[in-house]
Amino acid sequence: MKEIMVYTERCNGCLTCVLACAAAHAEDKTIVGAMAAGVPGRLFIQAVNGRPVPVLCRHCEEPACVAACMTGAMQKDPETGIVTNEGHEQTCVGCWMCIMACPYGAVVPAPGKEKMAIKCDRCPDRDVPACVAACPNLALAFIEPEDFARERQKSVATALAVEAGVPA
Amino acid sequence: MTSCSACSAQGTCVSAHRSTNEMYDRTRAMGLATIFDRYEAQQPQCGFGMQGVCCQLCSHGPCRITKKTDVAICGATADTIVARNLVRLAVHGTAAYTHHLEELARTIKATVAGKTPFKIGDEAKLREIASLVGLDAKKPAGELATALADIILAELRKGSDEPLALVNLLAPKTRLEAWQELGVVPGGVLSEIRDALTKSMTSIDTDPVDLLLTVVRLALAAGYMGLVGTITIQDILLGTPSLAQSEADLGIIDPETVNIVAHGHVPLVATAVIQASQDPEMLSLAKKAGAKGIRVYGSMCTGQELMQRSATSAKGFAGQLSNWLAQEYYVATGAVDLVMMDMNCSIPGLKTVADRFHTRLVSVDRIVRMAGVEDHVDYAPEKVAEQARELIKMAITAYKNRGQDIHIPPYKNPAVAGFGVETILGALGGSLDPLLDAVKKGSIKGIAAVVGCTNNRNGHDTRGLTIMRELIKNNVLVIAAGCMSSAAEIEGLMRPEAADQAGEGLRGICQALGIPPVLNFGSCVDIGRIGVAVTAIAGALGVDPAQLPVVASAPEYLEQKAVVDGVFAVAFGITTHLGPVPPVTGSELVTKILTQDIEGLTGAKFLVEEDPEKAAQAMLAVIDSKRQALGI
Amino acid sequence: MTAYVIVGNSAAGISAAETIRRLDPEGDITIVDVEKTPAYSRCLLPNYLGGTRSEDALRIRPRDFYQKLRLNTCFGYRVARVDVGEKVARLDNGARLKYDRLFISTGSSTFMPPVPGITGEGVYGLRTLEDAKKILAQAGQARRAVIIGGGFVGLEAAWALYRRGLEVTVVEKMPQILPQQFDACAAAILLREMQAEGIRFILGTGIKEIAAPGLWEKLTGKAGRGVILENGDRLKAELVIVATGTRANTGLVEGTGVKVNLGIVVDKYQSTGMEGVYAGGDVAETEDVVSGRIGLTPIWPNAVAQGRVAGYNMAGIPREYGGMIGMQNAVEFRDVPAIAVGLAQADGDGYEILKEYRPEHNLYKKIVLKDDIIVGLILVGDIRQAGVYSALMRKKAKVTRLKHRLLRPDFGYGQVLSA
Ligand SMILES: Cc1cc2nc3c(=O)[nH]c(=O)nc-3n(C[C@H](O)[C@H](O)[C@H](O)COP(=O)(O)OP(=O)(O)OC[C@H]3O[C@@H](n4cnc5c(N)ncnc54)[C@H](O)[C@@H]3O)c2cc1C
Ligand code: SF4
Repeated sequence: MKEIMVYTERCNGCLTCVLACAAAHAEDKTIVGAMAAGVPGRLFIQAVNGRPVPVLCRHCEEPACVAACMTGAMQKDPETGIVTNEGHEQTCVGCWMCIMACPYGAVVPAPGKEKMAIKCDRCPDRDVPACVAACPNLALAFIEPEDFARERQKSVATALAVEAGVPA
Repeated sequence: MTSCSACSAQGTCVSAHRSTNEMYDRTRAMGLATIFDRYEAQQPQCGFGMQGVCCQLCSHGPCRITKKTDVAICGATADTIVARNLVRLAVHGTAAYTHHLEELARTIKATVAGKTPFKIGDEAKLREIASLVGLDAKKPAGELATALADIILAELRKGSDEPLALVNLLAPKTRLEAWQELGVVPGGVLSEIRDALTKSMTSIDTDPVDLLLTVVRLALAAGYMGLVGTITIQDILLGTPSLAQSEADLGIIDPETVNIVAHGHVPLVATAVIQASQDPEMLSLAKKAGAKGIRVYGSMCTGQELMQRSATSAKGFAGQLSNWLAQEYYVATGAVDLVMMDMNCSIPGLKTVADRFHTRLVSVDRIVRMAGVEDHVDYAPEKVAEQARELIKMAITAYKNRGQDIHIPPYKNPAVAGFGVETILGALGGSLDPLLDAVKKGSIKGIAAVVGCTNNRNGHDTRGLTIMRELIKNNVLVIAAGCMSSAAEIEGLMRPEAADQAGEGLRGICQALGIPPVLNFGSCVDIGRIGVAVTAIAGALGVDPAQLPVVASAPEYLEQKAVVDGVFAVAFGITTHLGPVPPVTGSELVTKILTQDIEGLTGAKFLVEEDPEKAAQAMLAVIDSKRQALGI
Repeated sequence: MTAYVIVGNSAAGISAAETIRRLDPEGDITIVDVEKTPAYSRCLLPNYLGGTRSEDALRIRPRDFYQKLRLNTCFGYRVARVDVGEKVARLDNGARLKYDRLFISTGSSTFMPPVPGITGEGVYGLRTLEDAKKILAQAGQARRAVIIGGGFVGLEAAWALYRRGLEVTVVEKMPQILPQQFDACAAAILLREMQAEGIRFILGTGIKEIAAPGLWEKLTGKAGRGVILENGDRLKAELVIVATGTRANTGLVEGTGVKVNLGIVVDKYQSTGMEGVYAGGDVAETEDVVSGRIGLTPIWPNAVAQGRVAGYNMAGIPREYGGMIGMQNAVEFRDVPAIAVGLAQADGDGYEILKEYRPEHNLYKKIVLKDDIIVGLILVGDIRQAGVYSALMRKKAKVTRLKHRLLRPDFGYGQVLSA
């Protein structure tokens, strides 16, 4: 199952992904529309000592948010692996149990009056999530975790080889 | 924070100064968001902007050079975008310096006409410069001063094809040749600004190399007019700085007086206010309001200008409070009644804090405006005597509304101000030779100008102070100007006793002469004074500035004036360290030119190093190599 | 084919059933519950009471849930007794359910304090849908309501009835609301918000008696009914909700050898020690990862987690329960969300308290540390990173290097990742 993978070192904190995410979840699907309506992004670029670090939902195997959800709205789709509290028969009441449960802080209260938790829904209607498609630095990838791990290993190996003076 | 080696704080550590840390805690406890909070709130910052590869000029934009595309919609490359953005920064810096110079020229003319409370403060300098520019130096001072002011105004306005007189007259010959070869000898400053702005519009000048040369032209125009021209005219009007003893840090605030802060860069209104504050009528008004007296403090470069003239035209100056990053905190003491904001560096955040207290913010320059500030006493040379009295009355009215919630951190340090070529010559008995001998013998390894702004990227004043301390420890005489002067004053580095912190050789010289190891050269325009000093040293030794064991550092550079200062220094032949990484790293070409290739053209380059200890080492290495080349 | 019997069709029971079905597609699973409705969330009863959620929307699983998972349902029957020797659950109609594995997730019931009049008319607990329906029926004829207990359920009930248009008074014996979860400072913020809406609070006094119409008339000389407080004050009320606490439903194992303290004692596999008998949810005692104390942890996420662990073990795959915090609660009244986790009120020797208090923004953050490990947390106003703090708490992570950033508004997982 494909997942959103992060190359933290490539991120330069431009927040394009956050804006693209907001646009994807806005009524008119535009960045300007999303900003005007105050639609938030559902991933977070946090600053650690001035360096940007993307933080987003991992769509966990056994999600703590799903276990915590007291309405049954938060579910993990067995087919796609997507964890979301939207589009189900059960609906969210905004009790914030999931927010207390998520170790990544990936679930947040919706802004404004509506009592509802919001989180990454991995853009179910798109082939590639909006954030991944938008990132100008290729810091986000929508790939199989194994491929990601393989690539990482390769790049580490290359780096080591370069360091050791061996042509990769 | 490992890099906080200069920190004197226990607990809160946003600044190198205890007073600022303490005040920051106070504002936080009050629920007031100030600069350090706003800085945090802005993180992370966009890497495209930080690298200078974001272009927002046309409505196709913003375009960014990214992993996905290496050109903008119009085809501009990272090199073009970076260089073009840099031109725009340099234009700003140059324009601001020009404004300062114009105000001075106007003031000189009004003074000669007897319409200001000022009088010509340095007639000798007037005659010297007048003869240099070809006036008959025997004419009466008033006539000469007016003529000189007219020449300055004409120089500012002439075409870009007419080389600036001051460059031709003041620059070392070797420099002038180098600049002529590069084709960067500037013409009239306003024309240069027009050309540069036009070039940096979309699709006019898209050649990164030509754009960089444009930056150098601007920097030379700013350097010789905005810096050297400004200090010269300012000295003629307000007097050349002389050694003066003063104090710095928030602890100097007297809770029992009407307290006025002069904040900005142009000390004209402030000088008039200091003079008027001694008027018996004003004093009796203050006493009637329940105050012990009236005190005028300095902040930023206006404060430095006042401090270095506090033995002459600014007699009565109460001392320096702080620099750019700390402006909100002196207001937050609750004991400041009025802030006079002159040109440059009054941050909008000041208003939020002032609103929390009784503090009145007044703009005293027609181009300074701040949302919510309705008091404007825009400087007019002919009216400034009356304006000064009006400002004091406003301060007294505000004083009456002062609340009970006052906190003044109990820290302060004495500081000596007023260094420059003239005072150094005075201290050395009329000749530079003792200094040069000390350099030749190696008791002083070299000279470093640690100048420019303060910046929160690495903690307020932390980086600058670390570099200063490292350098003096290694027997490098430090001269400071601008916000870095405040930093050094507050931490006591501008007391003669600070010689203790210097290496053996430098310590000996300082103790013999009774001077501090970090010399207070004043405000940021006084970088011009450093230029004059370097020119004098180079002249005395018969070498080019690029050959001297002299380096510069803008360890916490912040705004656009600092951009032209830095380029000016490098064009002048002085290798210059920058602490914060300037927004050019998105272009390999521009980065390479500024940090490598330019050395072949001007004999100096930019050294970018965020770590202050490493930066000091790199500067020492430059000094060593220059010494070696000179065979000393 | 293994026969699984699950007593309790709620958070823990459903979680166990789902887990077992995933791991043992062939197993025969039966769920028994006295309540007749498909599984619903009792946490939503206040919303139902307040009229913001229909009965239909209380269900926690889709309509076809039991069918799809092939779960036998035995609703409307009480398990009267478990015969651990014979491995049989006896129902109240005499029927016997044979099991190989039994999961007891019978939850808890409202505890009715022993004061005169408590069993009278118009006095209810709020635990089941039936309770809620009775309250609603009574609310239709009532003008004033008294809520006994300013804890979590009491306040939610108060808020709901207030939304229904009743005049509501909350009586709490302790000097603050939410005394179990929040400290005085957080409680004061929440109290102020509720008072601003017009809900009345009487703190620091308990109730003496609930007076039915006859007694009320005798005492006051007027028609009516109400509550008499320990301090002698009388509160007229046509509706009384008792929310002073709960008791675990352990009756079905009494005298069977299954160990019971405040709840059923289980090991880390959720096993009671009797062959094939497991327990979890509100009815069971587990260890709190922060305090190390064994006790009841009557919250939804823990019931689900315990159900899952029990499910694994019942299906033959060993799994340990652990790393859950017993005390964690979230509330939100009038747009001010609040969360308390762990030893949020710990104070004194050995504890370090980090605090940020901005009353003008209804913002309060408090982190309790012991030896640089987070052991307690209160967030009022800004709760976004609650999960990140809780995770650090669960993992007992040393936060020495993060300490100065914990309270900053930009604190988040990124900081943890990079620490
Ligand atoms: C009003 C209210 C609001 C709440 N809000 C929250 C909240 O916001 N967050 C949170 O985490 N928790 C909340 N809780 C607590 C939460 O509902 C419980 O922790 C959770 O329901 C426990 O689940 P359980 O499966 O262990 O037991 P229960 O949900 O109590 O279910 C036990 C089931 O067993 C049945 N049963 C009992 N005995 C027998 C028997 N002998 N035979 C057959 N069936 C039997 C009962 O009928 C019941 O259906 C709230 C509770 C209430 C009452
Ligand atoms: S768009 Fe890409 S580079 Fe920019 S912040 Fe998002 S992840 Fe980082």
